[in-house]
Amino acid sequence: MSDQQLNNLIKMLDQIIANNRHHGDEDKVTDVAADHLHKFWARSMKKQVIAYANENPEALSELPRMTIGKLACVADSKEQPAS
Amino acid sequence: MLHYYDPSIQSYEPGKNGLNPDFDYGTPASVSETLVSISVDGRDITVPEGTSILRASALAGINIPKLCASDNLEAFGSCRLCAVEIEGRRGYPASCTTPVAEGMEVTTQTGQLAKLRRNIMELYISDHPLDCLTCPANGNCELQDVAGAVGLREVRYGFEGENHLDAEIDDSNPYFSFDPSKCIVCSRCVRACEEVQGTFALTIEGRGFDSKVAASQNDPFMDSECVSCGACVQACPTSTLMEKSVIDAGQPEHSVVTTCAYCGVGCSFKAEMKGDQLIRMVPYKGGEANHGHSCVKGRFAFGYATHDDRIKEPMIRDSINDPWKVVSWDEALAFSAKKLKGIQAKYGRESIGGITSSRCTNEETYLVQKLVRAAFGNNNTDTCARVCHSPTGYGLKTTLGESAGTQTFDSVMKADTIMVIGANPTDAHPVFGSLMRKRLRQGAKLIVIDPRRIDVLNTPHGGEGIHLPLRPGTNVAIVNALAHVIVTEGLEDNDFINSRCDTDAYNIWRSFIAEERNSPEAMEAVTGVAADKVREAARLYAQAGNGAIYYGLGVTEHSQGSTMVMGIANLALATGNIGKEGGGVNPLRGQNNVQGSCDMGSFPHELPGYQHVNDPKVRERFQSVWGVPIDDEPGLRIPNMFDAAIAGTFKALYVQGEDIAQSDPNTQHVEAALKALDCLIVQDIFLNETAKFAHVLLPGSTFLEKNGTFTNAERRINRVRKVMEPIAGMEDWQVTMALSNALGYHMHYNHPSEIMDEIASLTPTFTGVNYDKLEQLGSIQWPCNDEHPDGTPTMHTADFPIGKGRFAVTEYLATEERASRRFPLLLTTGRILSQYNVGAQTRRTSNSDWHEEDVLELHPSDAELRGVKDGDWLGISSRVGHTVLRAKLSTRMLPGVVYTTFHHPGSGANVVTTDNSDWATNCPEYKVTAVQVEKVSQPSDWQRDFVDFDKRQQALLKPAMGQQEGSHANALK
Repeated sequence: MSDQQLNNLIKMLDQIIANNRHHGDEDKVTDVAADHLHKFWARSMKKQVIAYANENPEALSELPRMTIGKLACVADSKEQPAS
Repeated sequence: MLHYYDPSIQSYEPGKNGLNPDFDYGTPASVSETLVSISVDGRDITVPEGTSILRASALAGINIPKLCASDNLEAFGSCRLCAVEIEGRRGYPASCTTPVAEGMEVTTQTGQLAKLRRNIMELYISDHPLDCLTCPANGNCELQDVAGAVGLREVRYGFEGENHLDAEIDDSNPYFSFDPSKCIVCSRCVRACEEVQGTFALTIEGRGFDSKVAASQNDPFMDSECVSCGACVQACPTSTLMEKSVIDAGQPEHSVVTTCAYCGVGCSFKAEMKGDQLIRMVPYKGGEANHGHSCVKGRFAFGYATHDDRIKEPMIRDSINDPWKVVSWDEALAFSAKKLKGIQAKYGRESIGGITSSRCTNEETYLVQKLVRAAFGNNNTDTCARVCHSPTGYGLKTTLGESAGTQTFDSVMKADTIMVIGANPTDAHPVFGSLMRKRLRQGAKLIVIDPRRIDVLNTPHGGEGIHLPLRPGTNVAIVNALAHVIVTEGLEDNDFINSRCDTDAYNIWRSFIAEERNSPEAMEAVTGVAADKVREAARLYAQAGNGAIYYGLGVTEHSQGSTMVMGIANLALATGNIGKEGGGVNPLRGQNNVQGSCDMGSFPHELPGYQHVNDPKVRERFQSVWGVPIDDEPGLRIPNMFDAAIAGTFKALYVQGEDIAQSDPNTQHVEAALKALDCLIVQDIFLNETAKFAHVLLPGSTFLEKNGTFTNAERRINRVRKVMEPIAGMEDWQVTMALSNALGYHMHYNHPSEIMDEIASLTPTFTGVNYDKLEQLGSIQWPCNDEHPDGTPTMHTADFPIGKGRFAVTEYLATEERASRRFPLLLTTGRILSQYNVGAQTRRTSNSDWHEEDVLELHPSDAELRGVKDGDWLGISSRVGHTVLRAKLSTRMLPGVVYTTFHHPGSGANVVTTDNSDWATNCPEYKVTAVQVEKVSQPSDWQRDFVDFDKRQQALLKPAMGQQEGSHANALK
């Protein structure tokens, strides 16, 4: 993963959040943003931002961190289907 | 046999009524619902009130001679050949200008009429060269036919008197010749230019015997206002206006109806042939998208199909620094398959992908995405819609529930107010532009929202339009301001909103849009557009009766492209302009099959029919037919592929008919990505810019060499029919099929109709589509299924696919790409009429006579500040790159905005554009780039490198081209 690639992903995430701020409080906004990533981002892109957030939690501001956290939950639930 | 004309059917529909698109009924159809019965030569015929006697007679199977009449032009009554006798009326009225009246008894053949017609023809022929045997119109000349029909046997006046036989030929247009010595001054060409094309470039100059057809102020055609649409050539009943290809080759001997492969209008043409040689393309009157009209691209710019640059045999190479090696299809496909498999084995399943072509057919596009999903085993498929109308898909799906425009093109003829946003129909969708101009001449009002003063604002006799010349990047601000006026001034259609729209979403939107910060006054500082003008436009649109919005890439190619599309849908929902003719939301799609490529599942998150890959039921249906599991995660989009390639995780790409190296933004970034690939497979008709970075070159086939379908901007599925054999032996769908088989995923289709059958079985909006029905109906607008067996001209008439229409909150956010002290100007990009997109086709035709190079248009005040004159070389610098173009001073934009096109690769327009993109879809922000311009004396570094690289790549290709010419000496005619 290159810095440029990561920078682009973070920039895209910021844009998605900024364009969905009207949905209400932080919880709703990050729900919508996480759903957007879930629907439109490739697996590798999701993995990259999740890995980055895990390794550098302090490098992200609140809403991107919350969004990635919710995205990671969806990813986890897909990887560990209920038996 | 007597034909009964059904007035409920106003246009030809094969199998449904008796109208023959190859026959000229003399005058246009009347739309009246009142029926009138008359008798012609004893035959009874019932027609709508307002129909001419000439047309009624033709419908009754009685052909009255005519020269100045044609059914695509209003009756003119100048030749008098169509004179008839009417019981109870005096004289010999012209049947073209005389409307039917109840009980009328018409006689078309009497001794007196025969004498009159012969006398008229005698006068015509007394000033016409008698060179029929050597005339290019020989065998297809209306004058000749009528002379025969009236039985002209002598010309008593002789040929020695004053005449026009020495009139000079105007050969200035590359495609047609104007020989006034053959002209009978019927003025059909003049009227076609006015009524069909709407340019008013032609006129009759002089009076009496001196009357003659003239272009503009008696200029050569090329120097006149003529846009070379061909309407005059088609209208000419003699060889006065004649295609040079017919003059050179003679009259064609057979024809095939097919669909143009240029813009998203999707015009139907008759490809007129001599054997396998295409002589001319004649717009087909039975085509529902164009009704017999055309533009300079579709009508004339087909020579690229047989250009010497065509790639005729597969080629391979290990490195882009190696010469190309001509190989067999089997070897090229085995080489490709080995590379793709090897890369997947080394870098993983997701390390490869494909790009479908919006220029190829639906069937071909479907197969490429199927190849990616089924044979590659991932969803890394994307298409050029990523860089044009992907926000349309997102925005319209969110608000209206379907990723497509809502209307037919003909719907514009019922619009009372036409709003054009970020589109330039007279240049980019010219045939529709002509239709729009026709409606404007009838009195419809016009609103244009665009940084540039586009030509539709200068429609002759089209009235005064409202132009809102906003700053690039402020679309959402202005659409919000328009909506604010509609809401706060009580201009909403409350009945529509209450019955058809989701109440909660509407209430949330309404309270947002009514906030003062969205008012035209508050937004004036952002948009640069006077508030009162915005209010005037909003009132005009909302109170129009029928308000129609047409938009283009000036809407989508922004950081808030998707938001703007939703803002447009909000406007239409709020005013009840959905689900009826004359209204609607109409994206003007760029390429011939960009609608189809989206419909066919080219996007990485959607299977055909816009069905999301994460829906298990959807995947199950596809899996059951395709026989392999489908990844439930979206794949990479084009910009993501580039980033991943540079990062080293994406290593191979199969590109069918798409030139990403020229068309995509931030060229240097794209080039770096392409260079980073281990295997680039390009399937194209030429060595395009992308192919110069390729390892495998698979010859593509033009639209003339294949069967299939295209889907135009009005969702109309039209047949593409093969008129000549594919130059390299395989149609594009066959190549994809062969590549899939080489990879071990079995595909077998005998004909594209079988692919369409598979598409129909998997796509709910296509279940009723098949080739038999296309033959029967001519074309089909999807959705076509049990609910809509003959297709759906107007969408959302009763409900939306999502039930209720959903208003969306559209908060304006300024783009990060802002003018600054260092980059004080905003660059926006677009197209011109004669060239098409990256120009790979049109640059290889005489269309380049109109546009040899891309130039930078800038306002005189910006030029003066920099000491720039017309024609100076200008360096254009942005945050990502630098290029050099010639200056052209223009007042079409406001000061602070500069404009260029991207039709020539060496221009490097996209070296300057950035990789900023739409928040929802990654559609690049081509329309806003902060730049500085200054006078320079030499090309940019990139341009020098481009020239060197191009020379090197051409040199690496040359030996292979020589080899293929030797082995396929007869492949090209």
